[in-house]
Amino acid sequence: MKTRALLRRLFDIRQGEYVKTWSMFLYLLFVLFAYYIVKPVSRAMFLTRFDIDKLPGLYILIAVFGGILAYFYSKLAARTSLRSAVFAATAVSIVSLVLMWWLIGLHLPWMIYVLNIWVSLFSIVTVSQGWLVASNLFDTRAAKRLYPLLGMGMVIGAAFGGEFTNRTAQLVGTSNLLLASAVMVLLAYLSFRVAATHADRSLGHARGAEETSFSVPEMVRDIVKGRHLQVIIGMMVVMYLVDTLVEYQFQRMAQAGYHGDQLTAFFGQFYGIYLNGVEFVFQLFFTALVVNWFGVGGTLLIAPVAVSLCSVAIMAAPGVASAGAVRLTEASTRYTLNKTGMELLYMPLPLALRNRVKAFIDICVDRLSRGIGGVLLLLLTTTSLHMGVRGIAVVVVGLGACWALLAHMARREYVATIRNRLSSRRLDLASTRVSWNDAATIRLLETTARGTNPRQAAYALGLLADAHNYDVRPLLRVLATSPAGELREKIYTVAASLASDDVLEQALNEIRAVQAGGSGSAGPAMAAVVYALRIAPDRAALAAQLLNDPHPFLVRGALEGLRSDRQLAESLITRDWLDRMTHCRDTECRLMAMLAMGELRKPEYVPALIEALGDVEVRGQAAAALVAYGPSICGSLSGILLDQSAPRRLRLRMPRVLARIPDQHSAEALLAALKSPDLSLRAEALKGLNRLRETAPGLNFDDSFVTGQILEEARLYCELNAALSPFREYRDGQRRPSRLLARTIEERLTRTLERLFRLLGLRYPPKEIYGAYLAVSRRQADTAAALEFLDNILDRRLKRILLPLLDAPEHLLEHGKDLFGVEVPTAEEAIRELIRAQAGAEGNGLPSDPWLTACAMAAAAELRMRSLAPDIAEAAERAGGEVSEVARSAEAVLAA
Amino acid sequence: MMRAMPELNLVEKVIALEAVPLFENLGPEQLTEIAGIAHELQLAPRKPLLEDSQPADALYIILDGSVELSRAGESLYTARQNEVLGAWALFEEDDPMRVSAHTLEDTRLLRVGRDDFYDLLADNSGITSAIFSTLVKRFRKLVES
Repeated sequence: MKTRALLRRLFDIRQGEYVKTWSMFLYLLFVLFAYYIVKPVSRAMFLTRFDIDKLPGLYILIAVFGGILAYFYSKLAARTSLRSAVFAATAVSIVSLVLMWWLIGLHLPWMIYVLNIWVSLFSIVTVSQGWLVASNLFDTRAAKRLYPLLGMGMVIGAAFGGEFTNRTAQLVGTSNLLLASAVMVLLAYLSFRVAATHADRSLGHARGAEETSFSVPEMVRDIVKGRHLQVIIGMMVVMYLVDTLVEYQFQRMAQAGYHGDQLTAFFGQFYGIYLNGVEFVFQLFFTALVVNWFGVGGTLLIAPVAVSLCSVAIMAAPGVASAGAVRLTEASTRYTLNKTGMELLYMPLPLALRNRVKAFIDICVDRLSRGIGGVLLLLLTTTSLHMGVRGIAVVVVGLGACWALLAHMARREYVATIRNRLSSRRLDLASTRVSWNDAATIRLLETTARGTNPRQAAYALGLLADAHNYDVRPLLRVLATSPAGELREKIYTVAASLASDDVLEQALNEIRAVQAGGSGSAGPAMAAVVYALRIAPDRAALAAQLLNDPHPFLVRGALEGLRSDRQLAESLITRDWLDRMTHCRDTECRLMAMLAMGELRKPEYVPALIEALGDVEVRGQAAAALVAYGPSICGSLSGILLDQSAPRRLRLRMPRVLARIPDQHSAEALLAALKSPDLSLRAEALKGLNRLRETAPGLNFDDSFVTGQILEEARLYCELNAALSPFREYRDGQRRPSRLLARTIEERLTRTLERLFRLLGLRYPPKEIYGAYLAVSRRQADTAAALEFLDNILDRRLKRILLPLLDAPEHLLEHGKDLFGVEVPTAEEAIRELIRAQAGAEGNGLPSDPWLTACAMAAAAELRMRSLAPDIAEAAERAGGEVSEVARSAEAVLAA
Repeated sequence: MMRAMPELNLVEKVIALEAVPLFENLGPEQLTEIAGIAHELQLAPRKPLLEDSQPADALYIILDGSVELSRAGESLYTARQNEVLGAWALFEEDDPMRVSAHTLEDTRLLRVGRDDFYDLLADNSGITSAIFSTLVKRFRKLVES
């Protein structure tokens, strides 16, 4: 069991991933095997035939051809498909190898140049292609788990390839090894075909662009637009510059220490045993753990920091040992940690973009950077600088710092890209408003206000009223006789805001028309009342009359009009008036009473308003009235929310009201409610807290308490999952209590997950957390991106608990046991625990849940679990009416 | 004379309500809310349940027994255990029924009254949205077919 867990920690291959993972492992193994056959062959031929000073020229040629090849290969991949590109690259490789084997036999000197250029391009194309295929086969999360294993394929391939060459070169002849390499390329292609048949999406259709257009400017545009790609390129350039300088240091120190066969033996020992050994150990034991522990950003930081530190050693004591240590560190971290990290860095990018640019960047930047590295080396060593190993070490440290900075930026870009992907699913509609500040626009607005479309006229009037240095009153007088109610409503609103009496008479007539039983409509009449109560000389008498008017909208208008004069409101809105309105059977009257209480905000109204929260018809207005009290009401609302003896339906209403009062007291009351055993109350409190976080992000939501709650919910999730385990088989069966129990536990799991994410939304960016919740709960295509986002933003303690729950549902039972010691129960044990939760048994982590208990009792009866009869009897004593009825039925069945 | 049957408890009511297609998107917890307003009804044979030309004011689920649906005296269909009558009546306040229904034998039903149902919807936005979702799905299916 422990071995399995350790293996899963190292290489977590899941159901449905085995064939494609091992196929890609073999692909990379065979490709590196082939490369490590042809690499020594080509180098040996070159050094035998030419002087070492021809090497820079070769590097420049490789860079030039690398650029050209990158262009054509990327074009091929974009125009056809990944499958076709791999086929073409394989076919060209095999034919080239056979052709070169034949041509080398003719002893043509230029063929050695061709072979060397070809070999360096062969490895970069096939390896880059392999990773590109892998990025199409796996999502971000799977990549994080499996790329270290694929990297292991490369390490093993390199080791075996080198060893194979070593042992067979003298037996079969150097040039004949090219044919062995061709066989390996063919095996790699077969592995690719196996992987492709197990791909979730067809690689036959995977391509960079829907259209067949492909050009360098387009590629450049992609890179210029994308900061993420720029950071990748920046890191690659610095990495290859460091590689060139470090290799030079090492070769120079080795040359000084060894000669002739000793030198060859030293290189053989260093690359064959030390480097391959270290890479193997790194890839087998550390890469996966480092990636899981430090994330992509942390993994990418290790190589530059390590290389810089080792370079300090060269500065202090230059020699074969220090230079070897730097080379070993640089090469081993580059091929293991850095390679895995760089490949993961591409993962959040859209697939089409990835397929379009990755091969180009990998091939082109690799070759060009090494070319630049050669030029830099020439500058440092042959010009007036004449730098020695120490001086180059200083440059390496400087480049290491740039590299580390880029790695840090890469981490930020990686998270930002994932975050954008999550939030881009939301449409953010920005409100726009017309600009009006010139004479022509004013004229247009006047014409519109006089026009026949009332809505446009009202809108134009509103804009004119706001216009600087424009007197709208003459227009108000002209338009006040308009038959359009919508326009008249706007006229009274504008007149009230200007405190102008220009249309007062029309407003009073509007009110009188309604009172006389005319055909006045609510909108303009209410606006007329509000306006008249602001301007009219006898407004007290008018208000007193309107408060008792039988037309509800006139009463509402009067209450709104009194809002600006609290003294008058208090004198007119008497206790008698409120009692009469509160006990009126007509809903409108009750609504008016709530509105008035909200206006006056007297402490004695609070109980009536709280009680009204239970009245479906007026609860909205009652809530608004309570909100109008502001923070002073939080204590009363909190008291009811936390009072277990208060009616539950009232308690459930409190969070909604508190959420609308953006004050620390609201937050504290809602946080306190999170400890409630009533899960529905917890959920309501969390909704309230989420709303508060949106409207008042400056409030303190007590991070450490929230973290504790998250862990508690995670534990409950594991316990519910364990309880569901023995009933999963009943889920799709007949409509019986056991099926209902399974469905109910599933529902509770869903709710727990929702609460968990709501809690996360109190500590982390709520919008992105919501996006992550949608992706995870619906298991959408973005699930991997969502988990990766969480992996990067959650603190280590939460990450350790939550990611296993969300990332690997198939291992949830094991995780529950590992993390919280939750054992998988039998059906009988699970039902007993659910029933005991109702009885409040100690040590039982499940909260009291009457409905779940009722389902458990009914299932116990259905499954004839007679040993549970005493537990059912005990729970029945504590339970309320409906649960005890179920208990009695269950007891009767079990007793029969 | 009708046999005395024990009243359904909450769990049994929820299991009965699971049969109603209109409630197919509701979770068990939401069904318990509906079960809370569902009442058991026992009718002797040949008792009228729905009247032709009268609007229905409830949904019925047959627990035991059978109910005959007819129009102008002509029998159209016999509904039996777990079948639902008047589901759409919950949304048709004034429209008269196109058929009448009466029991054929001793029949036990679960009745969900329209007024109680509407009060419940006013209090539970989750139930309302789940029922809307079912209606929209059905409407879409109808349009597509």
